[in-house]
Amino acid sequence: METKSIKLEHVKKNYRDEEVFQDLNLFIPGGKFFAILGPSGSGKTTLLRLIAGFEKPDTGRIYLGNQDITDLSIFERRVNTVFQNYALFPHLNVFENVAYALTIRNVPKDEIADRVAQALKMVHLEKLMYRPINQLSGGQQQRIALARAVINRPDVLLLDEPLAALDLKLRERMLIELIELQDALGSTFVYITHDQSEALTVSDSMAIMNSEGEIAQVGTPKSIYEFPASSFVAKFVGTTNMFKGTLRVDENGERIVIDTLGDFAVVAPKDKSWVYDKAPALMSLRPEKIEISKQPIEGFANHIAGTVKNIVYQGSSTRYLIEAGDYVIHVFEQNEEHFPTEVIDYDDTVNLYWQKENVVILER
Amino acid sequence: MNNKSVRTQFAKQFSFFMAIPAFVWVFICFYIPLLTIIARSLLTRSPGEIIPHFTPDYYAQLFELKYFHVIWRSLLLAFGTSVSCLLIGYPVAYFLARKARSAKNILLFFLMLPFAVNLLVQAYAWFFVLGKSGLINQALMMLGLISDPLNILNTPVAVYIGMIYCYVPFMIMPLYAVLEKLDQRFVEASFDLGADWFKTMWRVVLPLSMPGIVTGFFLVFIPVFGEFVIPNLLGGNKQMFVGSLISFYFLITRNLAVGSAFTCLSGIIVLTAAVFTYWRLKKLWA
Repeated sequence: METKSIKLEHVKKNYRDEEVFQDLNLFIPGGKFFAILGPSGSGKTTLLRLIAGFEKPDTGRIYLGNQDITDLSIFERRVNTVFQNYALFPHLNVFENVAYALTIRNVPKDEIADRVAQALKMVHLEKLMYRPINQLSGGQQQRIALARAVINRPDVLLLDEPLAALDLKLRERMLIELIELQDALGSTFVYITHDQSEALTVSDSMAIMNSEGEIAQVGTPKSIYEFPASSFVAKFVGTTNMFKGTLRVDENGERIVIDTLGDFAVVAPKDKSWVYDKAPALMSLRPEKIEISKQPIEGFANHIAGTVKNIVYQGSSTRYLIEAGDYVIHVFEQNEEHFPTEVIDYDDTVNLYWQKENVVILER
Repeated sequence: MNNKSVRTQFAKQFSFFMAIPAFVWVFICFYIPLLTIIARSLLTRSPGEIIPHFTPDYYAQLFELKYFHVIWRSLLLAFGTSVSCLLIGYPVAYFLARKARSAKNILLFFLMLPFAVNLLVQAYAWFFVLGKSGLINQALMMLGLISDPLNILNTPVAVYIGMIYCYVPFMIMPLYAVLEKLDQRFVEASFDLGADWFKTMWRVVLPLSMPGIVTGFFLVFIPVFGEFVIPNLLGGNKQMFVGSLISFYFLITRNLAVGSAFTCLSGIIVLTAAVFTYWRLKKLWA
């Protein structure tokens, strides 16, 4: 099956005098699971509504594959949406809801029955075919909405925070089912969310939007998490410790000087204009990249000492808040042993270690 | 039982206590008179008798074709008016509820303004529109479409026009209430799944506004069936309708027994018609 990419070119959109997008450019590769992650108010829902056709851009073009769909009506686009609150038709039962896209196209009755059964099987709800909508649980409604949206084999499936109303366990299961569904269908999935862990789990690649309605970064979940392009991305995706400092670049390598903490070896990007000696910069250090120990450990490029201020036991891991200088540093440690050889307690003095390759230097 | 639990009990039953005055009111002002009318239509007292006895005579007197003509004419009027109000009112309600945005409140105000004017005045206003030298005739003559003025006043046409005019707000209001609450996402979902405007209207908006259609239909159907002011004024009393016949018995001939029998008979028929129509409307979208 041929997969269709989506391309937005110089899209500008105002919403009642409020600027949502000034000049938005985005390429969503075909046949992939693509997540759009942004804080609320970043315009990600507007972006989805532009692709679906509920809104028209003020200027700019939108392409589906090679076809310009900017002026195409909603019902002419082979793009279907799973709405945030499902929007299942309350006057129709499960079968009629799922069949809707086929019924209005006057598909023969027995073909409809076959394809509805197939679609319901895909979401494991073939038993509920004749249930009224109001007798379904949230998770079941979610699946019916999915089945309804994919029954006509859309080129693109848009998902607008589809799991926001479900509880954690169900959400995790649905994420896996969504990935399997995308695999089976091979269509382009665009998944809108403000939940970074959902986006990281589900997507082949993702775009981060900032509060100004701009694309902050596009990439694979791994590249975005490990190599954020800005402090906004670093802070928004995952947890990080952000330090303000001054870069030192000389023949001994690159270092960053951080007030009240000292100076640390880092690896700074080579090709950036803001990387030079004495340049102001930010250092992002992920909590899981830090080794915590009361005993000194050899082989790390960087070290500071601090005091334990808070310990949050989270089952698989423990989160420490360590006070050092003017900073409170987050540290994650896996709980690898039943009986840890070293017990860290409140107000203990601990050593924090990290390698210079594991920090990200960002423009300040 | 201590004081506190009495108060809790009272609080729990609060809505029941609050409803008592309404129940009493409805019982005194509606059910007792209704029972009296039913009794009047079925009982008679020969001279010298103290306890009335049962008689089917008054109903038997109604078994004449002319009475059924009156009921049939009223049913047609009620049905025609309801359907016309629905056809006229639906687009208006749709526009007000879903498209008018900021102009909504001012438009609703103008829609409700005629209610502030006495019904008689409203009906008389139509004299100036429908009369021999009224607006319609003058306009048509000026356009050269007719040479002699049309006779609209005192015909069934005038009655229908007056009825539709008076009752269309009763259709618009429940439709407006339903359409305003109708979630835009259902409409969007329908478009999204490939339905054009017409299919979305027919398969999503109309079925979801059924409660409003049913309510509006009966808010118009039942009062129009018994209406007597407009048939009298605009119809010039040339044709009898149920309302005019009842008022004729009660107010002019003072034949309360036959009047009561006719009231009961027409009541039963309009209820049957209403239930039947409701059943048909429900089946239409099932």
